[in-house]
Amino acid sequence: MTTVTRRNVLKSGAALAGGMAGILATGRAPAFAQGTTVHWLRWTDFVPASDQLLRNEIAKEGEKALGIKLNIETINANDIQARVTSAIQSGSGPDVVCVLNNWGQLYGESVIDVSNIAEELGKGQGGFYETSRAVANDGKKWIAVPWCIVGLQIAYRKSWFAEIGYTDGKFPQTWEEYREAGKKLKAKGRPIGQTLGHTFGDAPAFAYPYLWSWGGKEVEADGKTVALNSPATVEAVKFMVAFWKDAHDEGGLAWDDSNNNRAFLSGTCSATLNGASIYIEALRKPDTYKTEAGGPLKDDILHAALPKGPGGQFSYHVPFSNLLMGYSKNQDAAKKFLGWIHSKDVYDKWFVSQKGFSVGPTTDWEKHKLWGDDPIMLPYKQAARTGRFAGYEGPSTRKAAEVVTKYVIVDMYAKAVQGMPPEDAVKWAEAELKKVYV
Amino acid sequence: MAISAVSDTTLREAPPPRRQRLLEDERWLAFVLLVPTIVLLGMFIAYPFMRGILLSVTSSRVGIPGDFVGLANFYKIFNDGIFRTSVYNTFLYTGVTTVFKLALGLWLAMLLNRNFRGKAFTRAFILLPFIIPTVLSTFAWKWMFDPTFSVLNWLLYHFGLITGRINWLGDPDLAMISIIIVNIWRGVPFFAISLLAGLQTISPELNEAAAIDGAKPWQRFWHITWPLLLPVTMVVVLFSVIQTFADFQIVYVMTGGGPANATHLFATYAYQIAIGTGLLSEGAAIALAMFPILFLVVIIQLLYIRRVEVR
Amino acid sequence: MIEGARWRKWVFFYVPMVLFLLFLLFPFYWMVITSVRPDGELYRPWNSINYNPFWTWKPTWEHVRYLFEETLFASWLWNTTFIALASTAISLVCGVFAGYALSRLNFPFAGSLGTAIFITYLVPQTLLFIPLAEIIRNYRLGDTPWSLILTYPTFLIPFCTWLMMGYFKAVPKELEECARIDGASRWQAMLYIVIPVAIPGILSAGIFAFTLSWNEFIYALVFLSSPEQKTVPVGVTSELIRGDVFYWGPLMAGALLGSIPVAIAYSFFVEHYVAGLTGSVKG
Repeated sequence: MTTVTRRNVLKSGAALAGGMAGILATGRAPAFAQGTTVHWLRWTDFVPASDQLLRNEIAKEGEKALGIKLNIETINANDIQARVTSAIQSGSGPDVVCVLNNWGQLYGESVIDVSNIAEELGKGQGGFYETSRAVANDGKKWIAVPWCIVGLQIAYRKSWFAEIGYTDGKFPQTWEEYREAGKKLKAKGRPIGQTLGHTFGDAPAFAYPYLWSWGGKEVEADGKTVALNSPATVEAVKFMVAFWKDAHDEGGLAWDDSNNNRAFLSGTCSATLNGASIYIEALRKPDTYKTEAGGPLKDDILHAALPKGPGGQFSYHVPFSNLLMGYSKNQDAAKKFLGWIHSKDVYDKWFVSQKGFSVGPTTDWEKHKLWGDDPIMLPYKQAARTGRFAGYEGPSTRKAAEVVTKYVIVDMYAKAVQGMPPEDAVKWAEAELKKVYV
Repeated sequence: MAISAVSDTTLREAPPPRRQRLLEDERWLAFVLLVPTIVLLGMFIAYPFMRGILLSVTSSRVGIPGDFVGLANFYKIFNDGIFRTSVYNTFLYTGVTTVFKLALGLWLAMLLNRNFRGKAFTRAFILLPFIIPTVLSTFAWKWMFDPTFSVLNWLLYHFGLITGRINWLGDPDLAMISIIIVNIWRGVPFFAISLLAGLQTISPELNEAAAIDGAKPWQRFWHITWPLLLPVTMVVVLFSVIQTFADFQIVYVMTGGGPANATHLFATYAYQIAIGTGLLSEGAAIALAMFPILFLVVIIQLLYIRRVEVR
Repeated sequence: MIEGARWRKWVFFYVPMVLFLLFLLFPFYWMVITSVRPDGELYRPWNSINYNPFWTWKPTWEHVRYLFEETLFASWLWNTTFIALASTAISLVCGVFAGYALSRLNFPFAGSLGTAIFITYLVPQTLLFIPLAEIIRNYRLGDTPWSLILTYPTFLIPFCTWLMMGYFKAVPKELEECARIDGASRWQAMLYIVIPVAIPGILSAGIFAFTLSWNEFIYALVFLSSPEQKTVPVGVTSELIRGDVFYWGPLMAGALLGSIPVAIAYSFFVEHYVAGLTGSVKG
């Protein structure tokens, strides 16, 4: 193994195994051309410390361990798709792109098969969550290496829910209960906050599991036959209309991913589905965010899963996965890099810096001692287990990704809430789906 | 770089007699003067434009070249309800904002054309809405319209005009009004300063003479200022119409086309389909579909400008 | 200018002027107050008690400090200035020349050429940026200021050309003919007689070209990738929108600090061209 060369690694295809073993065996970085740079495009992380860590510490370590210079670029999550599209069409750009949701499925033809790295990772670290797999595997191969999952749970005000009878941190278990609770809270000027706008995270993360929990689904298991227009879906939409009026902040139709954070932190909504960012932000600045009683807001926040419906209890979390772009001229280096950064020691540092905002792509990370630190964060630990992904009951293909990015399911509720009869809203969404699943 | 080099040479080498004689010929002079423009536009517009047209008649998606499909994409979008909404929205948006921008801009220009203290300061600072990067100013507006934090609601409430809150961006019609307000806010300074520059090329003597002849201010405006201002006005309107028609940033930031696609314009819908959903060819078709409409609007305006100039 | 009673001046001048200023500048006041307001106050709903959205008793420099210390704002500002100046200069030279040729010279296809230049302006940017990215790659301009300096003129030149055509047309033919009778060549007549008269036009075309390049977002987003190469709009939105949290204070401070210097620069310009103007037109 001491004579490991780039070609060998490439030929065997086992970039990770060969690479890591190679490094271990020789104890030095493999021979990359001087100054090989891997350009990694990511979102600007909610946790600033994580970006700092990647830019400083991890980039330096990477250079030492692999001989690869790491160029990390962060941009606003909303703008990533514009960058990826122009990069693919012009054949130049970042070597690795970390995408959200199932965007990876849209770019399946323009990326390198990373099955080796992904399978190694899945095997070595306890197996992937269904969510991770659904967005990064096209059914034949791995088109991306799952990076992490940002878990979504309902953040709610402990004291406000206690006032209406949910003492000891209990939370409504079914949609009916949640609606009743919300009704009481809204009467006190403390509505539930939920976006039904065109925004990448919170909107689909609510719209999809809500639909599934009523027994609705986009398509049949064949991934072709549109099955949206069912009594279950109509029921879900009907309930939503009343639920919205009774219990929600009606400004939510205009919200993006940031609005509910702000509304919750400012004490105008009692519960909202979100990543852990609300709690972590309140934790970070206890003097800034206060309850109406004057205590720090962080002590009045708890997390819970989305309630159950007649069809079960589901969740949708926002997965992140790394695409290795087909046009990249540094594919070997990029593969090495991906293998390296997912190795337990390196990934651990990043994982810790997230403080639970992200869970790992695999189940092993549930065992991390980080989860013992803060009981409030505990609901996020295994949240990804109930995760399904868009496209259910079919596979989460490119078509499913198109539906997500067109916001069809989200708009179905938004239309009904705005006054369109539920049956018509469902019909409209069904027609839109049929245009996608031709 | 190549461009400035060309113009430099022409400037420097203008004096020699032979060149000069060549430049005396109108056609040669015109040619020399137009070369930099043609080169630059040819390099950076012609090819992408052709590519755009080709894209729209294929089934291309991100990373997949696709096959020739003729006008299928256009057929598809014309049967698309969201597309029809965005056509309607675009016309409404362009029409309403242009009328307001012209009226307010002209008014403001007339006000600014007077002598008053702090004139230079005022003239520069009313340009701020136009200077500030649109994305960022739209974020500020987004917050001012935010259902939970709206300072506008605060104002209206404290003036006693409303009792509850106005759900600015959550209601389809109000959301449209909101983006229209932002566009007008952004566009008025552009009209005002352009028209102010136009007003200043009009000799004050003309107005003075008319005043001596006993013409009322309104008559003077209508018979002297307005006709002389018309060519500049038409050009400004023309450009504003084009820009507004293809406007993107305001809607992208404020509503993302929501609620439920109620505020999509051509450009934002094309962007959502092409970039968000990855259907490049369909996105190109949407973007191109606005081309003939815009072209028609522009031709009418151009013809009108010609007629005005002949008169 | 306004004759008659004093109230007329109030009704026809001061009141509308103040209303205009309120409408146009209110959002800036809002940005100023946001950028000095402590975070705790930023998170207050509109209907909370004792809330005054227009004032803060605890102003803070924290947001501005953050902007300069934690982000590359100073470099973004410099990049934006440089790119905007360079692309404006290029567009003005092209636009003035082309505008002159199209409005004052007789040559074949003048009309259709004018229309052709114009049509390029109709092409939507949202369509162009993808194929343009390919060209940028072919010329190896990616991630350099030149990728923007050379592409911005594509939407600035048509604008400048047509605006200049308007201004040139307003210059009387006799002016140029007199100069030619006195022995000036066409080139000289253009350079020394016609162009000086059109300086207000050039300035306003320049102001708008500069502003449009200053504001541009999507090309800058797509063609630049290194953090230190970015422009203000792209830099600010990439660094200050963190996941689902907006850093409102620094965001607004960035917007303001990115535009007030330009406004001050314009205030000199505007005065200058107003003063230099009257004489040239009368001649």
